[in-house]
Amino acid sequence: MSRGNQIYLLGCFFLCSLFSCKHSEEEYHSLTDKIKGESKNYKGTTISSEAYLEGIKTVEITEGDHTFLIPERKSQITYFACTECHSKPLKELKGKEYKKAHWDIKLMHAQQEIMNCTTCHNGNDMDHLKSLTGEAIDFNRSYKLCSQCHSPQFEDWKGGAHGKNIGGWSLPRAAMTCVNCHNPHKPQIESRWPSRFNTQKVKERE
Amino acid sequence: MSGIGKYFKLNLNSKTKQTSSGGSCGCGSTSGGCGSHKKEATPVQSSCGCGSSSGGCGSHKTPEISEQEFYEAAVNASIGQEHKKDGFEQVFDVKMDRRTAFRKLTASLLIGAGAVSTSCSVTTGDDTKEKAQIDWEEQFKGNYKLMTDEERNATVTRLVRSYELRKKENITMKSTDAAKEVLFGYAFNISKCQGYMDCVNACVEENNQDRNSEMQYIRIHEMKDGEGFKFNEADDNYYHEVPAEGHFYMGTQCFHCDNPPCVDVCPVQATWREDDGLVVIDYDWCVGCRYCMAACPYDGRRFNWDKPEVPEAEINKDQHYLGNRMRKKGVMEKCTFCVQRSRSGKDPACVEACPTGARIFGNLLDPNSTIRWVLENKKVFRLKEDLGTEPKFWYFMD
Repeated sequence: MSRGNQIYLLGCFFLCSLFSCKHSEEEYHSLTDKIKGESKNYKGTTISSEAYLEGIKTVEITEGDHTFLIPERKSQITYFACTECHSKPLKELKGKEYKKAHWDIKLMHAQQEIMNCTTCHNGNDMDHLKSLTGEAIDFNRSYKLCSQCHSPQFEDWKGGAHGKNIGGWSLPRAAMTCVNCHNPHKPQIESRWPSRFNTQKVKERE
Repeated sequence: MSGIGKYFKLNLNSKTKQTSSGGSCGCGSTSGGCGSHKKEATPVQSSCGCGSSSGGCGSHKTPEISEQEFYEAAVNASIGQEHKKDGFEQVFDVKMDRRTAFRKLTASLLIGAGAVSTSCSVTTGDDTKEKAQIDWEEQFKGNYKLMTDEERNATVTRLVRSYELRKKENITMKSTDAAKEVLFGYAFNISKCQGYMDCVNACVEENNQDRNSEMQYIRIHEMKDGEGFKFNEADDNYYHEVPAEGHFYMGTQCFHCDNPPCVDVCPVQATWREDDGLVVIDYDWCVGCRYCMAACPYDGRRFNWDKPEVPEAEINKDQHYLGNRMRKKGVMEKCTFCVQRSRSGKDPACVEACPTGARIFGNLLDPNSTIRWVLENKKVFRLKEDLGTEPKFWYFMD
């Protein structure tokens, strides 16, 4: 083989190796890199979750960097506004001549010395909730009340790590607010039995 | 008496012409006594009428054979003809006795006659003919992955029609493709899960899983506090009031790995990763070898040992070709992140059903999505990360 031919062959080999040694299938070395790389120029998707919010009344809230929808509350409360009944001061309503109301509410939220009814409710302004400093809080934004003590949960909720999505994963983002899952008077979620038991699995593992 | 002389082949257009094989010996035949044969290295070719080809005639001379010869003989004895044949010759160009040949011929003739009679008969109804036509076309359709959009629509239409003809019920079936700029991811909060199993219920109902074998894609493992993840000691079929004292709960299902080992092992490419990250199965292409089940390090796949049965009233009729459409016996299935829901912007059924909000689902490519917030702000981990499977399913704690 002549020297010229050899050089030619070597050249070909070099050229081939230039193409063949590239990372053929994956551009990224890890999933994290892929997520970072591909979301750099994220322009949004065509998929929307709007259809699944139909029939749910929502209000938009902005907290820090997060803006999303939460269910509207006031229209869900059976007798709102509260002042429709609470037309007189509480002391007068407590008399025997009135039918009992809210008799089933037992406050099981923190200890008695930390919390009582007036921590959140204002006897002089029943249509609003009350912050620790006495500011009025709208019933639609009751999360503000909860976030006064439960700040880590509040941070997680804003980001989406605590609580539950409504509708779907895509935009618009809608999330349950605190009282959609937790009863504010008894926020602990109760223990119960699992909703199913697999009898076949028992047989298989005998 | 003589062995090979009796054999003949269904020799259709074969390259190897049918010849009576040499070295055949029947005791008492013209080619000398059995004893006079020299044992050859390839025993298949010198079959001896005494029943066994490998000696046993008593007077066989068995000269020492080299290792190479022995190897060849062994290969020949085990896979014999298939070793040299390829394609349909493996089926058509085989030795068989007359009885088997007639049996096979009769069987195929009957099948053919049946097909002809159903399609041409004047007595069978249009429905039967249409059913036969649909079955025929379904039988010979290609791999979903390789189908064009028209072919996908065609098969979906056929499946919907077939269901209508058989069950007199209407279903809807989608063949929605992966959307651009979407990569699905999932996060599971182990400090939130209380083990209620509402997710399992919702999943079974949504995905039309077999009720007889009580197939479940999701497993919730009840683990002892302070002992780490010991799946072999965890109980995934508890039935007592939950959460149990001193235990935590951890759900597993298909993790939709970005580097899925189950996909690599599939011999027929019936399972693959879609562009939006979902690992899906074409139930009509799956041959049921269960290699994927063995390859999955997370126990994410389930097999239909029997025909899946779901009461008609409980069937979820909103279906997807790659998702919750009815499966058949002998195919794999698994969680698809509810492809029929997620590709339409809904959360998977388990996410929607979870009463504690332990399950978070979203688009990993959207920097403002909740799943991204979780990944960036919580301490997350994945199972068996060292395997390099890159699951898109993260666990975290409050």
